[in-house]
Amino acid sequence: MHGGEQAADIAGRELDVALPPHLRALATRLTAAFEMLQVSGFRHELTVLAPAGRIVELLTFCRDEPDLRCELLADLSGVHWPGGKRTESAQETTGWPSYEFADEAGRIEVDYVLYSLTHGHRFRVRVELPDDDPVMPTATGVYGAANFMEREVYDFFGVRFDGHPNLVRILMPDDWDGFPLRKDYPLGGVDVQYKGATIPPPDQRHY
Amino acid sequence: MSQTRTPATSGAGWQEADEPADGRRLTPAVPSEHTVVGGDWQELPNAVEDDLMVINMGPQHPSTHGVLRMLLTLDGETVLDNQAVIGYLHTGIEKNTEYRPWVQGVTFVTRMDYLSPLFNELGYCMAVEKLLDIADQVPERAQAIRVIVTELVRVASHLVWLATAGLELGSTTAMIFGFREREGILDVLEHVTGLRMNHAYIRPGGLAMDLPDDFSERVGTLLTAMKTRIDEFEVLLTTNPIWVERNSGVGVLSAEQCLDLGVTGPILRSAGIAHDLRKAHPYCGIEQYEFAIPTADTADAYGRFQVRVAEMRESLKIVRQAVDGLPTGPVMVADRKIAWPAQLGLGPDGIGNTEEYVGKIMGQSMEALIHHFKLVTEGFTVPEGQVYIPVESPRGELGYHVTSSGTNKPYRVKVRDPSFIHIGVLQAVTHGLSVSDVIAAVASLDPVMGGVDR
Repeated sequence: MHGGEQAADIAGRELDVALPPHLRALATRLTAAFEMLQVSGFRHELTVLAPAGRIVELLTFCRDEPDLRCELLADLSGVHWPGGKRTESAQETTGWPSYEFADEAGRIEVDYVLYSLTHGHRFRVRVELPDDDPVMPTATGVYGAANFMEREVYDFFGVRFDGHPNLVRILMPDDWDGFPLRKDYPLGGVDVQYKGATIPPPDQRHY
Repeated sequence: MSQTRTPATSGAGWQEADEPADGRRLTPAVPSEHTVVGGDWQELPNAVEDDLMVINMGPQHPSTHGVLRMLLTLDGETVLDNQAVIGYLHTGIEKNTEYRPWVQGVTFVTRMDYLSPLFNELGYCMAVEKLLDIADQVPERAQAIRVIVTELVRVASHLVWLATAGLELGSTTAMIFGFREREGILDVLEHVTGLRMNHAYIRPGGLAMDLPDDFSERVGTLLTAMKTRIDEFEVLLTTNPIWVERNSGVGVLSAEQCLDLGVTGPILRSAGIAHDLRKAHPYCGIEQYEFAIPTADTADAYGRFQVRVAEMRESLKIVRQAVDGLPTGPVMVADRKIAWPAQLGLGPDGIGNTEEYVGKIMGQSMEALIHHFKLVTEGFTVPEGQVYIPVESPRGELGYHVTSSGTNKPYRVKVRDPSFIHIGVLQAVTHGLSVSDVIAAVASLDPVMGGVDR
């Protein structure tokens, strides 16, 4: 599922069973201000899907509006959904899931978790980006905490945050190739970039 | 061989004696000129136009709490800029969890923040339970024991903080005391879980095994002892002039800065904001116990010391109440498709499957064996979805952002580790301090590099 299809699916879900009343009210409040938002709920958690271009505006709104007051950017994470048909060998204990890749572009979800100490509500703002060229504006101007968090997402997924003051790798070595938490990046079987050695993939290790 | 040397005209050049033709050196190289004024020291700062010096602190500096490296830009002794360089302990735990069944994830995440392993397990397991929608089926006894062990870990973690912070400021007594008391707590945890650290005790759906029979006596002894031991700390440090001087006004982070930079936990509470997830969004039935949220209004390293010491007392109170009101019953969900099939017990060679359980699956019931084998090797599948579970770890909000694609392995486990966020505030906390105060300021943040780098 990609793009519009995914969005339509999210919008089609029943919100009433999934969300408690205060989050439903919050969803109404947000969609009233930004009519392009798509809202979904799962296990009493609200997710708001926003276009990448409006993310700074939306975050500023969530931070500054008195009835939202999200003082804290609690978390910023990414999830990679590769393109094409994805098949996972679900029932094996170890080894990695085998993926099938096709030409169709995949997507990277960037999830902001906002939290309000004043009102005690927490919700997720999601942005979906194409995985071949993920670019979006930085949120460092809205939340200072976004600085390290965005560097981490860049380091692991290659999402470029436009306007970030220092967008360099943070946990991986500076000269590392590739973005390790993408699904097309293997767990083993890669050159150990420090010493030129190779770790075999788990299903080929003998010990 | 000639012994003559050319007289040095300037600087501290090293003059070689004439060497024989075959290249063998007969005399050691000696400095050609000896002065008492110390050469060109004065030229060193003059050589740099802006008089700034960039100093590497770490990653092997003894006061950086592990492998943290700080690039300090100094004007004399004053810190103008502090860039944290991290990643030396990055082990790819988040990636690894994607290749193992859900239950095995516990064994990975417990190794992240190694001073509060049970909080990692708790956050992860609560996230899995929420995805499975069985959070309300976890037995009360399991929930109460989760509270007991995590609050004990909170005390142990604060003790390590006190010990290391004390050591870094020169109080070796605090270090000895802190590690000694922590050992008492780890003994009890070892008695319960079989391991001092990295317990893998909390499992999706409940606990690995029930408490040992003599648990309440042992923990009772511990609680009584801990109370007086914390008093000892207070006697040792609270009004100790050196401790107060070194910590007061150091590492100030106002409430506004804390919120902007995502800082939670004792650092936020030391800035006067009484925010604690145990009160704001109670989990594991912690709302039934009475405890306070200690705060301070100094927003500095000393305030954080006060908050942490008070928190230890509150945690002991919670443990006391939870042990006294411990409900009976199972410690794992009733759903046999999720509950770990083993029955653990203490044998002559340590903790393992009990004899009657092994006898049952090996000798009596083929179905039980198949069930055991399937669940242990394949695990259970978890419905598609994404959840975010925050728990109040000793350092602040520990969040588990877990995505499932509907298989027996996690699709993505993102950990919001408070230490990682708190390393991001180093620049704000240390700006304008002297180098010696940087140590006190970093210590007051209590970063655990295992959690920072994951």
